[in-house]
Amino acid sequence: MALVHKLLNGTYILRKCPKPSVASCPFLSTRFADYCSSSLEKPVAAPGKASSQRKTEGNLEGHHQREVDLDITSPEDKPEVSFDKAIKEEIKDHFRRLKDDIVNHWIGPEGRPLHEVLMEQAKVVWQFRGKEDLDKWIVTSDKTIGGRSEVFLKMGRSNQSALLYGTLSSEAPQDGESGRSGYCAMISKIPTGPFERKRFYDWSQFNTLYLRVRGDGRPWMVNIREDTDIIQRKDQMYSYFMFTRGGPYWQEVKIPFSKFFFSNRGRIRDAQYQLLLDKISSIGFTLADKVDGPFFLEIDFIGVFTDPAHTEEFAYENSPELNPRLFK
Amino acid sequence: MRLLRLREVKAFFQGHAASHQLGWNWIPRLSLSPKGLKILAASLSCCRWLSDRQRHELGPSHPAGPGPLSGLGRYLQHCPHRSPLLSVVLYPQVTPQAPRGLHCSTAAHNPDSPLVPRPPEPQRGLVKALAPHEELFRQAPDGVRDKASFVQAVQNFTQYNVHKRGHVDFIYLALRKMREYGVERDLAIYNLLLDIFPKEVFRPRNIFHSIFLHYPRQQECGIAVLEQMENHGVMPNKETEFLLTQIFGRKSYPMLKFVRMKLWFTRFKNINPFPVPRDLPQDPVDLARLALRHMEPDLSARVTVYQMPLSKDSTDATDPTEPHIVGIQSPDQQAALAHHDPARPIFVEGPFSLWLRDKCVYYHILRADLLPPEERLDLAYGRSSWDDYEFNIDEVEEGPVFAICMAGAHDQATLAKWIQGLQETNPTLARIPVVFRLSASSGELLASSSGLEETPLTPPEGREEEENNQQRQQQSQS
Repeated sequence: MALVHKLLNGTYILRKCPKPSVASCPFLSTRFADYCSSSLEKPVAAPGKASSQRKTEGNLEGHHQREVDLDITSPEDKPEVSFDKAIKEEIKDHFRRLKDDIVNHWIGPEGRPLHEVLMEQAKVVWQFRGKEDLDKWIVTSDKTIGGRSEVFLKMGRSNQSALLYGTLSSEAPQDGESGRSGYCAMISKIPTGPFERKRFYDWSQFNTLYLRVRGDGRPWMVNIREDTDIIQRKDQMYSYFMFTRGGPYWQEVKIPFSKFFFSNRGRIRDAQYQLLLDKISSIGFTLADKVDGPFFLEIDFIGVFTDPAHTEEFAYENSPELNPRLFK
Repeated sequence: MRLLRLREVKAFFQGHAASHQLGWNWIPRLSLSPKGLKILAASLSCCRWLSDRQRHELGPSHPAGPGPLSGLGRYLQHCPHRSPLLSVVLYPQVTPQAPRGLHCSTAAHNPDSPLVPRPPEPQRGLVKALAPHEELFRQAPDGVRDKASFVQAVQNFTQYNVHKRGHVDFIYLALRKMREYGVERDLAIYNLLLDIFPKEVFRPRNIFHSIFLHYPRQQECGIAVLEQMENHGVMPNKETEFLLTQIFGRKSYPMLKFVRMKLWFTRFKNINPFPVPRDLPQDPVDLARLALRHMEPDLSARVTVYQMPLSKDSTDATDPTEPHIVGIQSPDQQAALAHHDPARPIFVEGPFSLWLRDKCVYYHILRADLLPPEERLDLAYGRSSWDDYEFNIDEVEEGPVFAICMAGAHDQATLAKWIQGLQETNPTLARIPVVFRLSASSGELLASSSGLEETPLTPPEGREEEENNQQRQQQSQS
């Protein structure tokens, strides 16, 4: 069972007790980077009250609001965690992960032997088979700027998919500066290694994003963010549209990475660059189609694969009218 | 100490009068001497009279300002000797008090002008203050709001206003009103709005014009027009380009936005693999047909209308007792249903929501639970022979879907009629027990599949319900 420690600096550490060994499951590389959900909450002065099943709602600080179903467990269920023990456990955990990291480096990238990594053609990056998979995602809506949309994330039927549902409302907040409103988003958390160092996904061998979803006919936008250490990169992202068909059948959405266009601070830029796949930090889904009403999106899993038939490198060429400097 | 210039006072008054309409944010900046302030205060009493008149014109619903002489009085008291730029915050409702000298003490405070302004009184009625030129859009009560009346209003503006005074405000107002008149996707109307701008005036003529944003308000307004076009998905044409070049010049921001729209719209025009027509059919049966075809990937599926709504000549609402029922089923599904084991029940689930552009319709499905692995038929759609990739994950397995339907009502009686209609093409359906799993809330999938949430089967006269009851009794007994 995963144990959640909540410390004074407000960091949640998720520790999975059984660690899968390299030999037994070679393709479960997703489990190696332990996902630390560093929540942007203010430190709460009750560190001993962490319950493994409880998910608390985040504050508005940092403009992220985690709206996840509250699983209130009964008071008898809460395990007793003492503060000192929690600190010690966390430090031990970090060191263990550091050791694993160093050892894995000798075996190969991400702990898998090199030939496996090179021969891999399809990889599952995010799957939704349990509640801990939902912890890797943050769900936001325009409530952070004062709008009225609501969005929730929970496990779908028979615990085999994730259901993102809610209501979109394009009523603009009356704060004098927003003209439009109405968006909901589900963003993945940036994976972290030992001591909260940021990790990135390296998808340079793959060229297509694969999603198995079931929607309700609404158009979504898929956004990929790259390495966010450089400060300008915080506002940059690469996006493309995902059109759901609706209906009772599962839909496979394949988006080649060459189709993602570049945008900065929410605006499509004139100078377009290709999405480079070696330092991806997060992916997100946004719904902002200006139509008020309830929506839902069921996601089975998200993966990347190599489509051998797709040879395009980048879909958008720069135009000399908009960017004369590039064509001098 | 200089005397107040007449034009400054005029500007002040005009600004004051305009501040009614533009809102309370307008702050006139006026460089005043203390003597000028006295004159100003005196003239404010005239303003009060003016505003009173306007208030009577506009109607009793004009919101009262936050207390009489609050803003100006406070400034007069607290900063008596600041001669250059005194920014005066204006409130339109100023009581006709005697112009106070700058040297009176704060103790001589009027009891009804508190230091902290009172919150504005609640609005009487729902009528807001009219924007400038809004009377052009007001029309006879029996007038219909459509394209012709919108064009008429625009032409009224240009007719009575040869020099196009206040055209920026008018264009913003017209952009807001477009939705009411139903013309927000009409390119001709947008070109007409762009036509309101005076031509050739805002083009930069020398290097200084082009360095600094030449006529920024007008350029912002032009961008706002194009932005509303973009929001509604209207593609601009050559006439728009010509107008923009004529008004703003080729190197202006509206022209740049136009170039960007041209580029990105053409790039993203056809990226939707499941396109939905812009004008959805109004007839519910046609809409249901379109939606069912949209959902079903099998092209050989057949759409059947099981029940037409009773057409009434006077009203166009569907009769609640006779809603339309439209269903779709493909030959593969028919075959699967024929092979279905009658011992297993099949479920009618719903309603699920489907969005077509901005319309939400609901559908129900007929499906069975997961078969055990040995009996499983491969009915997965979308698995083609070109897949040479495999994800190391077990995909979500769900039972096969046999048919989809869309009905006007979501109750069991209507769906029972659908099942009856399905029986004609699927005779084996008569022997299979059908369980209705209907959820009360629409727009969300059913939460659990573990327990059978069977709605109490109030028996309509369908034969399968009796069968089902018998089956259930047998199962409960065994």
